[in-house]
Amino acid sequence: MRWRVLTLFLSLAVVAAGQELERSPFHGDETSIGVGKASFRLRCSACHGIHAEGGKGPPLNRGEFAAGNRDVDIYRVIALGVPGTEMPAYGTRNTEENIWRIVAFLRTFEAVGDERVDGDAERGEAIFWGTGGCGGCHKVGRRGGSYGPDLTRIGRSRSVQHLREALLDPGKDLPAGYFVVKVVTRDGRTISGIGSGIDDFSAQLRDASGKLHSFLREDVESIEREFTSVMPSYGESLSDQQQRDLLVYMQALRGEESR
Amino acid sequence: MNRPVWLACILLACAAAALGQVDSEALANSQQDDESWLMYGRNYSAWRYSPLDQIDTENVGQITPAWIYQTGESGKFQTTPLVRDGVMYVTGPSNHAWALDLKTGRELWHYSEPVPDDLPLCCGKPNRGFAILGNRLFKVNMQATLVALDATTGDVVWEVESADYRKGYSNTVAPLVVNGMVVIGIAGAEFGTRDFLDAYDAETGERRWRFWTVPGPGEPGNETWGGDSWKRGGASTWITGSYDPELNLIYWGTGNPGPDLDGAPRPGDNLYSDSMLALDADTGELRWYFQFTPHDVHDWDSVADPVLIDVEIDGQPRKALVHANRNGHFYALDRTSGEFLFARAYTDVNWADGMTSAGRPILIPGRTPTDEGTLTCPGMGGGHNWHATSYSPQTGLYYFNSGDGCQIYHGATQDFVEGEFYLGSAMENVTGEPREGSILAVDPGTGDQRWRFALVSPPTSGMLSTGGGLLFAGTQEGYFIALDAASGKPLWRLQTGGPVRAPAITYRFEGRQYVATAAGSAIIAFALPR
Ligand code: HEC
Ligand code: HEC
Repeated sequence: MRWRVLTLFLSLAVVAAGQELERSPFHGDETSIGVGKASFRLRCSACHGIHAEGGKGPPLNRGEFAAGNRDVDIYRVIALGVPGTEMPAYGTRNTEENIWRIVAFLRTFEAVGDERVDGDAERGEAIFWGTGGCGGCHKVGRRGGSYGPDLTRIGRSRSVQHLREALLDPGKDLPAGYFVVKVVTRDGRTISGIGSGIDDFSAQLRDASGKLHSFLREDVESIEREFTSVMPSYGESLSDQQQRDLLVYMQALRGEESR
Repeated sequence: MNRPVWLACILLACAAAALGQVDSEALANSQQDDESWLMYGRNYSAWRYSPLDQIDTENVGQITPAWIYQTGESGKFQTTPLVRDGVMYVTGPSNHAWALDLKTGRELWHYSEPVPDDLPLCCGKPNRGFAILGNRLFKVNMQATLVALDATTGDVVWEVESADYRKGYSNTVAPLVVNGMVVIGIAGAEFGTRDFLDAYDAETGERRWRFWTVPGPGEPGNETWGGDSWKRGGASTWITGSYDPELNLIYWGTGNPGPDLDGAPRPGDNLYSDSMLALDADTGELRWYFQFTPHDVHDWDSVADPVLIDVEIDGQPRKALVHANRNGHFYALDRTSGEFLFARAYTDVNWADGMTSAGRPILIPGRTPTDEGTLTCPGMGGGHNWHATSYSPQTGLYYFNSGDGCQIYHGATQDFVEGEFYLGSAMENVTGEPREGSILAVDPGTGDQRWRFALVSPPTSGMLSTGGGLLFAGTQEGYFIALDAASGKPLWRLQTGGPVRAPAITYRFEGRQYVATAAGSAIIAFALPR
């Protein structure tokens, strides 16, 4: 217990010490940038993309950061994470030097700014809650359904490319933890929905009406896990312009909606 | 006689009796001792098989927890507990250890040592168990130290540093006691360390020998490393080996060369990375080696259990060493000479098209990690990684787990910086193709699969087989299960509430058979109802 407290204290010290510097001590240093890039690939690329192009995390290769554009701002996000999102805190796992080397790598990208999409956020919002039917499955703030993931902060936590893909090819890169469970009962009924758990002996799922089910493998004909999406693809049903409007609307969702 | 003297005599007598128990002979005969569990692999051949048969295929459905000990420590709980004389000795994550009363599961003592904050780590802070000799327990700590504890009190008797943790060394291995020496490996190959296998005097802690797993200049094998790359060559030794008392040879597997995924800085075969070593137990001299994956660029450590079995292969009785490698193949070697006997793929393999007669993999081109990524099977963790395996002389089958599926390997060149990851990049899962797993039963004489129990997630636990015809294992989702060792049919399970990351053990106490395992952050001991 004593040591937990001390470790916490030390890790805060790492963060505090790191914050005293405005700029990475390794800024522009080739070796450190190489180490930073390798560390980034190892620890961060699963969410931010192998070339920092973004995906299940925001792009970090655009030379601009929502958290602020000084080295120390980037250091702070990496060390402390973003509580309540998938962005973990690395201050307790990585050394101060390692984080500064990652910062030095992230500063090698020239500032190009956010990808610009030609659309209208207000029209997008109307589609979201209206013809698109998105709000039936997704929440923004307190409003909307909960069959799909909460999108309150989606503009900040995903790349535009990922959002476009989610609309056109929703099964391609599912959010972490999402899968479909399909159960065939002994009397031939099929029950499927979003899996909340699956293991070698059982599965739990939520069907489209929101009802929870739990099955033991030994009690049913079959249980299958599928990595497909339950969200319809909007490539056909929405025009190009409507898709762009939705993208601009989602890009603007940065967690500021009242919860 | 006054009372204090009389009491002291009794205590001394007890201590002496206990001390006499775990001598070298007791360790050599551990297979016959069904009241105890005296070493990591249960016997020197690393079988993890106990003849106990009170719990069997008929009644296993009735076993229930006799006690549960909550350690309160989070982190990967991967230990193999030791059992002797009514006490269980357990090591936990982050340099913790406990002695537990077998009758009640109550704690007798608790040992702990802080983990330095600046210790560079790849994979958490687990520990895989104690070794015992006399009344002393031996364990490694994360910061690459080895400690001897008094088994009665948990007090430190001696402590030595085997390497400087600031350079990237760390330790998680369960020691192996051989001929009065404590043999330990080392970890750190993700940080460009040069690794070794050490033997320490159990009495004094003095180092008796060291074998560098990457040969220095002038030593045979050094020429398999271009330039001075041997200095950062890795070849760690983080899983316990085995021992053949007749041949007086210690067998120990080695890990990946450094940097893991970038072969460019280290042209050559990179001996003795990804190899099986046979060392003279008294001197640490190399008798033979066999390299599974020459010039590895996929991080396929070859540290998994070297299991010693006398078995017929191609009609000939063999003193074999069998080993399930992370590169996707099951191997049999002659343990007297290191001769390659055969290898069989046990999971999807797309990097090699069989082996030469000497056991060198025949490479399929285009599987070297690139910037854009190359899809290779098995993935980085294997195949069979490090989890303890089991051989049952009753069924004649060898049991191990396998992670099944492929990964995309991305390379990148990087300079070496002390204390920083020296991996040369990363792996990525294939979208929409989850990594799964299985528990396999293999005929050790042929590599034929007898049965396969599918797991929805990559495996996390080790194996235990028993004279009751059972195989015990656990799952990532927290199930502790008993399978029929002959058929693989599940016979019993309990949802323990935390991932099972350790192999189970079994022992007899006051006439009852117990099966115990770490699960989540607890130790659970199971038995039939009274
Ligand atoms: C499990 C997924 C995940 C991993 C792994 C991850 N991140 Fe993040 N990261 C995110 C998400 C999601 C956000 C957006 C959080 C939010 O909603 O503000 C984020 C935000 C950030 C930001 C702020 C971006 C900005 O514009 O302000 C930085 C910088 C960052 N991450 C760096 C890293 C680094 C460096 C690593 C590896 C050491 C890493 N991340 C690992 C998911 C991840
Ligand atoms: C039938 C319910 C349903 C509808 C209707 C629906 N979605 Fe989804 N959506 C989901 C589910 C479930 C997921 C997550 C997993 C999956 O794809 O199945 C998801 C995923 C997403 C994601 C990716 C989220 C992430 O964390 O990466 C976005 C973005 C998204 N939806 C936007 C929309 C928009 C915009 C619409 C309307 C045009 C819409 N969805 C309509 C159910 C729905």
